[in-house]
Amino acid sequence: MNTLKRVAPLLIAIVLLLLLFRICVPNFLHPENLLDLTQQISINAILAFGMTLVILSGGIDLSVGALLALVGTTTVYFLTAGQTALGLCLAVPAGLVVAALFGLGNGVCASRTAMPPFIITLATMLIARGAALRFNEGRPMHVPDTQVLFLALGNGRLFGVIPVPVVVMLLLFAATSLLLHRTRFGQHLYAIGGNREAARFTGIPVARVEMLVYVLCSVLAGAAGMIHASQLYSAEPASGVMFELHAIAAAVVGGTSFTGGRGTMYGTLLGAIIIGILDKGLNQAGVHFSFQYIIKGLVILGAVYIDVRRRK
Amino acid sequence: MKKSIRGLNVLVFGLLLVTGVSCSKSSGPAQEKAEAGKGKLFAVSFQTMNNPFFVELNEGIKKVIEEHGDRLITMDAQFNSLKQKNDISDAILQGAAAIFINPVNWEGVTGSLKQAQRKAIPVIIVDAPVRDASLVLCQVASDNLEAGRLAAQALAEVNPKAKIVILHLHANKACIDRVAGFKEVLEKYPEMQILDIQEGKGSTEGARPVMVDLLGRFDELDAVFPINDPSALGVISALESGGRLDDVTVVTVDGSAEGIAAIKAGKLHSTSAQSPTTIGRIAAEKAYEHLAGKAVEKDIKIPVELITKANAE
Repeated sequence: MNTLKRVAPLLIAIVLLLLLFRICVPNFLHPENLLDLTQQISINAILAFGMTLVILSGGIDLSVGALLALVGTTTVYFLTAGQTALGLCLAVPAGLVVAALFGLGNGVCASRTAMPPFIITLATMLIARGAALRFNEGRPMHVPDTQVLFLALGNGRLFGVIPVPVVVMLLLFAATSLLLHRTRFGQHLYAIGGNREAARFTGIPVARVEMLVYVLCSVLAGAAGMIHASQLYSAEPASGVMFELHAIAAAVVGGTSFTGGRGTMYGTLLGAIIIGILDKGLNQAGVHFSFQYIIKGLVILGAVYIDVRRRK
Repeated sequence: MKKSIRGLNVLVFGLLLVTGVSCSKSSGPAQEKAEAGKGKLFAVSFQTMNNPFFVELNEGIKKVIEEHGDRLITMDAQFNSLKQKNDISDAILQGAAAIFINPVNWEGVTGSLKQAQRKAIPVIIVDAPVRDASLVLCQVASDNLEAGRLAAQALAEVNPKAKIVILHLHANKACIDRVAGFKEVLEKYPEMQILDIQEGKGSTEGARPVMVDLLGRFDELDAVFPINDPSALGVISALESGGRLDDVTVVTVDGSAEGIAAIKAGKLHSTSAQSPTTIGRIAAEKAYEHLAGKAVEKDIKIPVELITKANAE
């Protein structure tokens, strides 16, 4: 019930936006268009799930966009080296290991030192970007046509209907929201974000929880990176620029408080949907791209304003 | 809770207002005309609109389409392949009559091309080519190999022993071709040497810091080939602040108003001029020819022209 109350404004905003765009764009609510919408938001939503965990802990992770590119390039590198099922079995774990190592680095720095997460992840963002650009002189890397399974990750459809990235997004949503809302880890995370010192005194393993949060965020970014490479039939060392900011926007529009300790996974998913509807609707209504930025900026401001009002 | 409801009202009202205003704003005179004549919808997706070249190319397409009483939606991918994919999919699902694409990534666009093919929507590629040409109606682009050759030839004439750095835009096939054409001519001049090739992002703000760094690394460098006018402007700015503008020759490709102004000011040696408006016009004409059932050539090369101080106007 409580959850419903919290997400009600977001649901109403979604319904109103859909109706509004239905007026401007005749076939906006066509099932195929809506299905396409879910596919378009999948990468941002997956990044935003991880970002929500980090923001809840009172931190921030600016490295996810660059990490998306690094995991994409690493994975495709191995896919090319072994152009068979064996290559796939090697490539996916390799990509995830790279992601986890970066997450561990972020986590160790954030939890064991006094360095602010903003600066730590700004630095790891540069490191990940540089590492990604080492591949193929910065040029896109082609996914071999033989890697049918990998290409299906971004372009396939389950039962010929639901895009595979959407399935992955929903599975990761289920996993992260269970973790956040149904486990002790989730309770600890809210406690740390609410009041770090108090959490430490009640015996919560603050450092361990924080470390895990950054690892999860990075691994999710890794998963997004693989979907990205698959959807684009190639890994781009220069891709993912600003993706961290879009993920933060989805989390914040979904009601995640920037000071930590407040926010839900449902909210973030709805936030990503709102941003996705805006992107698609404004595009299809033929709104000039310059206005699109202004409108999105205003929406983010409005959402944060409400968040601040509600907290009073 | 009451407060939050009031807050919600503010958000919803604001959203409606802003979006409503922008929806109505978009129906300018051109669109009204199109709606009145039940005009067709066309869409174009550019890798960036932060480059006068693409603004002019867009104008070239738009002029032809509006003359037919149809309308054009222009989309800016901001060098983001994923955004380009999403933008194109929005246009496809709206049932565009034809789509013009200037790809960010010549492979990354494959999924969009397949999606358009499933819906039987013709795709015309402008400026930079795609990997799988069988998926598109036709490709209209400058002769980029020739543009690179002309740049190298112009450099060879002023400095046949040049020590060169190249500021590349690695992901872009048009730029890959320019560099290939450039290198082809260098083979005839064994004393000319490429010191380094760096990623310059194809933009003024991207190229400037890279050039500053290169000046620090190579004392002997005396020529630069930035692959387009915006990067050339960044390079010139770096050379000016490093006091090296007089002994370093810059040759590039584009022919924008800014580039020509730099040539007249004696800061840029040459630019192999493309004609973006012509590319746009021809692309739009080919789309209409195809829609009228005529056969269209697959690969259309628009000639380039070397501009130096002698013919800059």
